[in-house]
Amino acid sequence: MTTEVTPTSVKARRNFSFLFALTLVGLLILLCVALSIATPNFATGNNISNLLRQGSMIAILAIGQTFVIITAGIDLSVGAIVGFSTVVVAGLIQAGVPIWLAIIITLVMGLLIGFFHAFGIVKMGLPPFIITLATLTSLRGIGLLMTNGSTINITNEAFNQFSRESFLGVPNLFWMVVLVAVPAFVFLHLSKWGRYLYAVGSNPEAARLSGVSVPKMIFIAYGLSAMCAAFVGVMLAARLGVGNATQGEGWELQAIASSVIGGTSLFGAVGSVHGPLIGAFILATISNGANLLNVNSFWQRIITGGLIIIIVFFDQLRRRNR
Amino acid sequence: MSDMSSRMWVPADSKGPPVHPDEDIILELRDLEKRYGHIQALKRSSLSFRRGEVHAIVGENGAGKSTLIKLLTGVVRRSGGTIVWNGKEVELATPNEAIAHGINAVHQEVVLCRHLSVAGNIFLGDETTRFGLLQRRDMTRAAQKILDDLGFDLRADVVLDSLTIGQQQLVATARASLRGTKFIIFDEPTAYLTRQEAAQLFALIRRLKLEGVTIVYISHRMEEVFELADRVSVLRDGTHVGTRNIDETNDAELVSLMINRTLDQIYHKETLPIGQPLLETRGLSGKGFSDMSLTVRSGEIVGLYGLIGAGRSEFALSVFGRNPKTSGEILWKEQPVTIRNERTAIDLGIALAPESRRDQGLNLNLPIGLNINLPVYDQLMRGPIIDRGEEKRRADQQIADLAIKTPSRRTLASSMSGGNQQKIVIGKWLNHGAELFIFDEPTVGVDVGTKAEIYRLFARLLKNGAGIILISSYLPEVYELADTLHVFRDGKLVGSQGYREKSHEDILAEAIGV
Repeated sequence: MTTEVTPTSVKARRNFSFLFALTLVGLLILLCVALSIATPNFATGNNISNLLRQGSMIAILAIGQTFVIITAGIDLSVGAIVGFSTVVVAGLIQAGVPIWLAIIITLVMGLLIGFFHAFGIVKMGLPPFIITLATLTSLRGIGLLMTNGSTINITNEAFNQFSRESFLGVPNLFWMVVLVAVPAFVFLHLSKWGRYLYAVGSNPEAARLSGVSVPKMIFIAYGLSAMCAAFVGVMLAARLGVGNATQGEGWELQAIASSVIGGTSLFGAVGSVHGPLIGAFILATISNGANLLNVNSFWQRIITGGLIIIIVFFDQLRRRNR
Repeated sequence: MSDMSSRMWVPADSKGPPVHPDEDIILELRDLEKRYGHIQALKRSSLSFRRGEVHAIVGENGAGKSTLIKLLTGVVRRSGGTIVWNGKEVELATPNEAIAHGINAVHQEVVLCRHLSVAGNIFLGDETTRFGLLQRRDMTRAAQKILDDLGFDLRADVVLDSLTIGQQQLVATARASLRGTKFIIFDEPTAYLTRQEAAQLFALIRRLKLEGVTIVYISHRMEEVFELADRVSVLRDGTHVGTRNIDETNDAELVSLMINRTLDQIYHKETLPIGQPLLETRGLSGKGFSDMSLTVRSGEIVGLYGLIGAGRSEFALSVFGRNPKTSGEILWKEQPVTIRNERTAIDLGIALAPESRRDQGLNLNLPIGLNINLPVYDQLMRGPIIDRGEEKRRADQQIADLAIKTPSRRTLASSMSGGNQQKIVIGKWLNHGAELFIFDEPTVGVDVGTKAEIYRLFARLLKNGAGIILISSYLPEVYELADTLHVFRDGKLVGSQGYREKSHEDILAEAIGV
């Protein structure tokens, strides 16, 4: 009983995986080309900047979400954390806290929310779906209580201005994606922590018996996901100039969709940093294009749903072949 | 359903044994083949089964027995050959088709619903209903009658989960005997049974045989084969190598057919100078074992023999920091140590190749390279980033040293055969520089060639000054390899001896407690 796998099939497999990433980029380019032809308003500097701003926030959420999904978990709370963080950062800034400190406090708060999720999973034995669903609803409630259901207006111009400005012709918000994605790439693909994350998602018992601290990795994954969400909350507060606990409604699903479109497996142990990024911008482009073409926004939801089914179906086919 | 149960309980003599057993073939396999991708699990094998016989099938792990069961029960489809049932060619493409012919199996692992009652399990998929509603009380009564008739001391209304594995095995047997009205396969049925339960099972098998049911009996235990079987077929490396009438053969012939080489060729025993103590446990107790005192020195193999569930793996997991000890002491190189978790054990220099490759040993859907390097990534970090050249070099080195048959370190562990997977499980500890290796059932599901390679690796490790704990349920293996052999029974150490001090029979007697 020997395993004879010819080298050609491995090469083909790797090319196939590479092709899948290319297909996604190709799909994105195809969308852009089609929209440029279909509507004169698409390929304008203004619109592209707008698209990049729109896509940035989901892209960052999707990166954090991917860490969690690689451990075979899920983080449903990220949309609620975004809304809650806008309230926290707006409240702090309005209370006269320096911007840098307000941002750090918000990020640390995000990290702690993530640690709370990990605590529930590791120490209380709750399924990730449940513990993050619980914070999804409670964080919205806490945010609404804190603001008494109203909106906090941010009067600090420097803070608000940041989101509208560009650097080297690229919107600042998109630079934030770079700021998150580069260390995320190093973490997931080049450090031992990334390898451990995959190992935990693939088989936690085997990871444990190889000396990997599974609880530690769960804390890291959920902490990073929630911290990414808090970071997005800061970005959104700056963009809108307000803090409101109801912001970011349903963004968790967009983040999960971006991640899955980008090749992440909900069964864990499969995923990358670049895939979800492309996935997020594919969704943003569809949404942007549909607006420009005056497509009913209800249709956008249907198209997104169909896209998820088609892309994940092809991805499954690819996996089955290996 | 009602006709099934009534068929079972006609007095045995009303049917009687078949008149011409030699000619009365119920199932014939001609050139049957099964391939999984590139792996040939069963190679062009021809076998025939007579009506009303007990036909034992023996062979080493990985010889193709499981594949044969899956083919006969319609779980997998054959890749080639023909299956003739009752004189007609059949497909056996689905489990339902097999059941419709009256073929069923009792699997080694219980495959039942843990949360249903015994009655619910017996009738699962075949429930008594009235107007679409389950008739629970009728089913429980019918199930109880079946269990009583079979002579099983079980209640039909309790939840399956509350039974021991052995009792669950009997429930599975009752279920199979309702469905396998003509042909029942038992796969290692006594592995988890007590002696009393085994006796109940043997009585049932004899009775089924008298009723004309064909029994295929798969077992490693030669004494059971000789006690029950009319004929015995031997599989080796996926090929049928012979069938014998039971009274025309003996242990020695069957074993030589099974392995096709003498034991001395497989087991390389080199006597090495035994060095300083590495690990010593004093009265170590934990979940599943108690009061274990033993020592492993550098250059020696300490064998732990016993039946499944005797506490050997639990002891190993506790030494490795996976499960906490409840009392006792662990000494490492004559110094008392506290092993808080797996990391502590690994850092001391202990390595564990656990019992189950699939559940404990491997990250199946990850590349081989990652699996091999997983315990040593700490050593591979250059600042915050992995030294990828070194990562690649170490993985490739183990793949070459252990002759792991893979095109690349990027290939997923799941696509490897059992033997190659075992090499990955072992290989992950060789880069680490461990001094004590715990091998828990390292040769289960491994072909003979790889087995010999693993034993040669043991010799290499010992020469480098390592110590080995070898846990095995396969007596010849521990008997031939271990310098000191400890026998476990019910979580306790019941006997210890030096190299080949006692006979196989004496050791087995210690292990099963007679």
